[in-house]
Amino acid sequence: MNYLLKNTIRLLIFVLAQGLIFGQLNFGFGIHPMIYPLFIILLPFDTRPVVLMLLAFLAGIGVDFFMNTFGLHASSAVLIAYLRPGIFKRFAPRDDYDVLKEPTATEWGYAWFVKVSGVIVVIHHLWFFSLEYFKWSAWKEIISSTVLSTLITLIIFILIQVLFFKKPKSV
Amino acid sequence: MLKFIAFFRRFRVFLVFMILQILALSSFFSVMSFPRTKFFNSSAAITGTLLSWERNIIKYIYLDEANERLQAQNIELEKRIPDNFISVDAKTAIINDTIQKLSFERTPATVINSSHSFTNNYFTINAGSLKGVERKMGVVSSHGIVGIVYDVSRHFAIVKSVLTSDINISAYIDGTDAYGIIKYDGDDPRRVKLTGISNDIVIKKGSPVNARGRGGYFPQGEPIGVVENLEPIEGKPMWDITVRLNQDMRKLRYVYIIKNINQLELEELERGIEQLQ
Repeated sequence: MNYLLKNTIRLLIFVLAQGLIFGQLNFGFGIHPMIYPLFIILLPFDTRPVVLMLLAFLAGIGVDFFMNTFGLHASSAVLIAYLRPGIFKRFAPRDDYDVLKEPTATEWGYAWFVKVSGVIVVIHHLWFFSLEYFKWSAWKEIISSTVLSTLITLIIFILIQVLFFKKPKSV
Repeated sequence: MLKFIAFFRRFRVFLVFMILQILALSSFFSVMSFPRTKFFNSSAAITGTLLSWERNIIKYIYLDEANERLQAQNIELEKRIPDNFISVDAKTAIINDTIQKLSFERTPATVINSSHSFTNNYFTINAGSLKGVERKMGVVSSHGIVGIVYDVSRHFAIVKSVLTSDINISAYIDGTDAYGIIKYDGDDPRRVKLTGISNDIVIKKGSPVNARGRGGYFPQGEPIGVVENLEPIEGKPMWDITVRLNQDMRKLRYVYIIKNINQLELEELERGIEQLQ
């Protein structure tokens, strides 16, 4: 399928799923599961950094519209899009990535996926909750929200990968 | 000049990053300090419509609860209808009441999107400027105060809920008439703090906390909650009062927007206070 079309549809699905389903869930304990960072992780390897950030900004604004957070999600999404190339390089396999394959767990293994998305999600959540509370005295809440939300978010990421990303049949 | 362009080409990625961050963060922080942005909110037509579809499906689950509440309210209202009273004396039964005049009007609305787990919570209602909703109107539920209108579009409005750190609703404790300001510290969506009450005032646990009507957002005596706990603040002659909200903000569906008919008059008059000081 055409990459552009595929990723546009994916963007819409992730934003709607975040706004209408995952944003409305309430686990308590300051847990806010966020699935749209997965969209940013799953963009093709050779996406140019500027395009990556613009797409992340779009996704973030879309989520902001639903959650009344006025730019908080957009800011966090742009941050992880900016850091993504560096993080990917850090966890690259010995003979580097095959740019024709997508950065999914089925292609590169669950260990790789958990490592990469773990780092990205922790950065995203830490940025998000720090800005949301925006005071030093709330550091306990910030840390606990970040850790708990990261765990839930990663579980959801893996479930999405298991359920919706089938291993392509080898030719 | 060429070097200048080369510089920009080299730092292009970082520049785009900075621009996008400034866009997002300036919007976020300008909203936190109350002026409005027209852009990032769910009163925008598209998300508003999507969210009302969602709410249309979900609302059937809550029909039972809503019916019970309406029934209770009906009984309460029926007690006030003159037909339900037997007149004791034909002469005293005719009352031409010119002392009381309608001062607050209520518009019903349904909550279509809400949050309660953040430090600053907002919710969206399905009534907008077409129904006469304006900024800074008070919003109550059948149990008590829930927020103040923050931004309005044609069909929707965003309400700043009681669970916002700078909501600052003026309230008094029934029985003592001591008054203070309601604040939310972001921990527990069922409880808020009442600050600014001196600790030489005797306060009983369980006494109701009502709105004082400052600024004309709410009628005086509109219920907010009850005093649940009070402790002296260390180093200050103040009470640290925990108020349990009457309305569970996690279960908010049906609200009324309060329009104060004399709002303008009040504002005109109170403008003079600053000059006097």
